[in-house]
Amino acid sequence: MERSIAKDVGFYVMLGIGLVLMFIGPLIWDLFQIMQITQYVVLSVYALSLAYIWGFGGILSFGQAAFFGLGAYTFAVASINMGDTTLPFVLSFILPAAFGAGLGYFMFYGRLSEVYLGVVTMVVTLIFWKLINHTAGPEYSIGDARLGGFNGIPSIPILNVPGDPSAWLDPAQMFQVFMAILIIVYVVLRLIIASDFGRVSVGIRENEERSSLLGYDIRRHKVIVFAIGSGIAGMSGAMWATYQTFIDPNAFSMEMSAKALVWVMAGGIGTLAGPILAVVLLQWLSLKLGTMHILNNYVILGGIMMILVLLLPKGLLPTFQALSLRLWTIGKSKMKERTPKGKAASDV
Amino acid sequence: MSENYILTTENLTMRFGGVVAVDNVNFSLKEGELRCLLGPNGAGKSTFFKCLTGQLTPTSGSVKLRGQDITGWLTHDIVNQGVGIKTQVPNLFNGISVYENIRMAARRKHLKPMAREKAEEMMEKCGVTHLAKREVGLLAHGQRQLVELAMVLAEEPPLVLLDEPAAGMTGDERDRLADLVLETARKAAVIVVEHDMAFIRRIAKFTTVFNRGAIFREAMIDEIMSDRAVQEIYLGKQADVAA
Amino acid sequence: MDYVLIILLEMLRAVSWLVLLASGLAIIFGMMRVINFAHGEFLMLGGYITIMTHNNGVPLWISMLILAPLTVGIFGILVERLVIRHLYGRIIDSLLATWGLSLLMIGGVTLVFGNTVQGVSTPFGAVSIGEYSIPLYNFVIIGFAAAIMLATWAVLKFTKVGLVARATMQNPDMAETLGVRTTWVYMATFGIGSAVTGLAGGLLAPLTGVVPSMGVNFVGQSFITVITGGASMIAGTLSASTLLGTVSQGVTFASGPVYGDAALLLTALVLLRVLPQGITGRIFKKSL
Repeated sequence: MERSIAKDVGFYVMLGIGLVLMFIGPLIWDLFQIMQITQYVVLSVYALSLAYIWGFGGILSFGQAAFFGLGAYTFAVASINMGDTTLPFVLSFILPAAFGAGLGYFMFYGRLSEVYLGVVTMVVTLIFWKLINHTAGPEYSIGDARLGGFNGIPSIPILNVPGDPSAWLDPAQMFQVFMAILIIVYVVLRLIIASDFGRVSVGIRENEERSSLLGYDIRRHKVIVFAIGSGIAGMSGAMWATYQTFIDPNAFSMEMSAKALVWVMAGGIGTLAGPILAVVLLQWLSLKLGTMHILNNYVILGGIMMILVLLLPKGLLPTFQALSLRLWTIGKSKMKERTPKGKAASDV
Repeated sequence: MSENYILTTENLTMRFGGVVAVDNVNFSLKEGELRCLLGPNGAGKSTFFKCLTGQLTPTSGSVKLRGQDITGWLTHDIVNQGVGIKTQVPNLFNGISVYENIRMAARRKHLKPMAREKAEEMMEKCGVTHLAKREVGLLAHGQRQLVELAMVLAEEPPLVLLDEPAAGMTGDERDRLADLVLETARKAAVIVVEHDMAFIRRIAKFTTVFNRGAIFREAMIDEIMSDRAVQEIYLGKQADVAA
Repeated sequence: MDYVLIILLEMLRAVSWLVLLASGLAIIFGMMRVINFAHGEFLMLGGYITIMTHNNGVPLWISMLILAPLTVGIFGILVERLVIRHLYGRIIDSLLATWGLSLLMIGGVTLVFGNTVQGVSTPFGAVSIGEYSIPLYNFVIIGFAAAIMLATWAVLKFTKVGLVARATMQNPDMAETLGVRTTWVYMATFGIGSAVTGLAGGLLAPLTGVVPSMGVNFVGQSFITVITGGASMIAGTLSASTLLGTVSQGVTFASGPVYGDAALLLTALVLLRVLPQGITGRIFKKSL
């Protein structure tokens, strides 16, 4: 069972590390490192969105990129039109969340099975990707923002101080703001999971029939969980857009959805900290492997995915925990074995 | 006259392909009544039960709860009308503790501090307090049955539906269950679907016997047990009934 | 009059196209309840085999109709033995693993053949109906779609192999007690489904050319068709293809191919809201 926060040491450790990095990081890293780590922070928020709905709501979405991309494009279009980035950032949560609620209505009220759910979420992403790729012409503009098709949208505004569009954040400030967002998302999700609502989610994941026998409307509940996850994914998309000041249809790609799945699988389903660690580890790994020019990103991502499913279905963190627990118990039982032997020896 | 009936069915029928599992059943249960449903395997008791709980949508006919038509309603909506349901196969949150399971049920009706008290009270009543911290998935079948009963009763529903609650129980557990059912029946209407004759004899009063999807007899338990025809449909169970 | 005939032929072609794309997937889903997420890359592989062997001197029809299905079929059997077999009963894991496989295949083919479009010219030329001209290849597509459906039906209905397959489909445990090696049935199913997909890939290669990431363009249509159809291989594929093919072709006529795909998905979503098990989950339940 998800322990209450008060007794959860891991939670405080993560929180502590996050806060320390947030304040100390900009002092000790150079610009390149700050940019690199900011990227991990953004992708961690994205990973958390799936970690929550999959691990704590039992909803496996193969289309998390749909919401990531939707958030990114929402932010791009809105901020180019408005100048100020504050409201666009809020919109990048609200619009994907609303779309997630709508899609969720069809999926969960239709009581689609897991397989169908996976296929539908994936196909939705695919269609977004196709549609946005076909918006190259100048007729596809929303206000001042041209969608640009496969060329993407350039010169997206950098996040500014609310109310003052000319006060852009510098890279160190952006890192701190994003780190703060990551911490907030982590804490809020942790609070949701520990709340009654979260317990019901876990209950639904464990046993849908019992939950409805307790009188919970599992369809409505899943729609809410899915919408929250969609909103967070959308917000991470906006962070990505403003971090790169550029966005193209690859935000909606299958690869982007697959990445979220890989991070959650690697970090362990049913944890929040695991996927964050997996983002850092795997992004760093694919950066290193990518520079070797023997393998491409597809091979690396696909390979990791298959290895995870076939060899480590529980993910790195839980596997590591189980392994260390087993080593510990083996150690203990060896100690026990030794004692009676000693006794036997003295008897002789 | 239907006002003092809490649950009625009219011409309730459930077909699976060519098989008629429940055939035109007219059933009624008074407020506060304890009713046992008997019948051999395949008599349609469980299908009938699932039509009442919304787990199945009947092919035709209707189910009414205090005169309100609930046919085709989803389970959670029926539950929210004040119906407590224990399914045939224990249906629990396997990965979490006994206490958490029961507390989740208690939380439906009570605020947080009250829910804790209620959960503890229910654990005490159902004799599972010593198991409070155990993971439900690791318990014996009979213990799981008691935990589920505690969950059902924690919501204090005015109508309780129990499908084979005594299955897999030890003698002691069954005695406790019988006491619990009798106590519950003082405040609520209860339907018990059961095979176990020893258990039935401890609790039953007015009893409905199902056979081949239809109501075969409705009478007080003593009459039922001495009824030749009932004994015959039970065949192998004859000895039990006579004993 | 001619225009009406053209429209009808175009509709028929759109329906046949979906049948062709989806039937390999439907065979696997119908038997094993597994959705092969690498389906698009199996198509891609069929396309590559066709074009690569043809460019090296093999007659097109041998490349397309023999080499492509054979190679992809054998590849499918390998995948079943090495991956899918370990994941029976873990449906979600099988989806994840086949998705990993799909990325791996895109990456692998890119490493070997590079990321460029390769193609052959469409064979047969065109035929004119009144003042309109339509490619003869359209009739090839329609013909093969019909042939695949007929062959699947005949095998399931009239052969001993088909009987074993139907038994396994309805109750694997029971089939096992009657002496059927269900693991072999599954292996063969995956092989045959892959071969049909390879054939489809071969057939579409002359139309679209091949590029490692081409699968993405077809999986959406294939998946929607299969899940909308439901678990029955033939009735499901046919009913869903007819409905969705008509809808998407209609929208394509009206507003271009991109919205055709979106319309396809929207129709499927609304349909699944009403019939969560797909068309054959409720209607034509007992059909093949």
